[in-house]
Amino acid sequence: MKILVVDDSRVMRQIVIRTLRQSGHAGHDIVEAENGREGLEAVQREAPDLVLSDWNMPEMSGIDFLTTLRASGGTVPFGFVTSEGSAAMRAQAEAAGAAFLIAKPFTPEAFDEALGTVLGAST
Amino acid sequence: MTVTMEPSLGDVHAVVEEVWSSFLGAEDPILPLPTPMPMPPGGWSAAITVSGGWDAQVTVQLTDPGAVHVTSTMLMCSEEDCTDEDLRDALGELVNMVGGNIKSLMAGAAVLSLPLVGHGDISPGSHLLEVCRLDLTWRGEPVVVTVHTPPPPAVA
Repeated sequence: MKILVVDDSRVMRQIVIRTLRQSGHAGHDIVEAENGREGLEAVQREAPDLVLSDWNMPEMSGIDFLTTLRASGGTVPFGFVTSEGSAAMRAQAEAAGAAFLIAKPFTPEAFDEALGTVLGAST
Repeated sequence: MTVTMEPSLGDVHAVVEEVWSSFLGAEDPILPLPTPMPMPPGGWSAAITVSGGWDAQVTVQLTDPGAVHVTSTMLMCSEEDCTDEDLRDALGELVNMVGGNIKSLMAGAAVLSLPLVGHGDISPGSHLLEVCRLDLTWRGEPVVVTVHTPPPPAVA
């Protein structure tokens, strides 16, 4: 399985990848991108099985990334990993087609719970 | 309508503790400083602004050693390997998480800016008032977290 991790912070991409391992989801191929625009390109190029994206990024935000992806017919499962976990943002994420939203700071357990349904359904 | 409510000290403290314990080690907690002290000259500041239904600037200040401790812990690398670019990245994520979680506590739709990180003081705009200040200590270094908001509108 291939997972695309999109975040403008290299530190956060490393933490997300580390947490994937800690949550029992080691062994997947990881592809990285620094913003939504690069994320779109990476989806086209890499055909990932799952996208984990930050929301607040320069160039193109995570929500614009998801909206553009869905508008172009992309159906890859998409989850947000973001510092804002309000009910309003969760509703906006779901309406745009996100499978889940993991709020930072997160734990490996939160990752496992969120990823379980998506990865379990496709493995 | 602009919401002028401010976050409680307890809420801000809880957010900071959760960020620290999740990403910087629960075995090394961030603690209240019994006697607040001014930050020594230099150091690093990371700030993020919230605008919309609730307007604020959230700032985290660390000493030079404190900033390096944070960065090396988040990156799981040696302190000698931390570059200034790493520090800007790590401290930006730190204030992004603190600011984003404080924003989530407040009423009203608002937008979070991208973080601004610099060596030295990042003073908020002169139109903003300090409504919350936490004087903390982590690994023996002071950490200051502040929230600034616009003054409440004058009552006619």
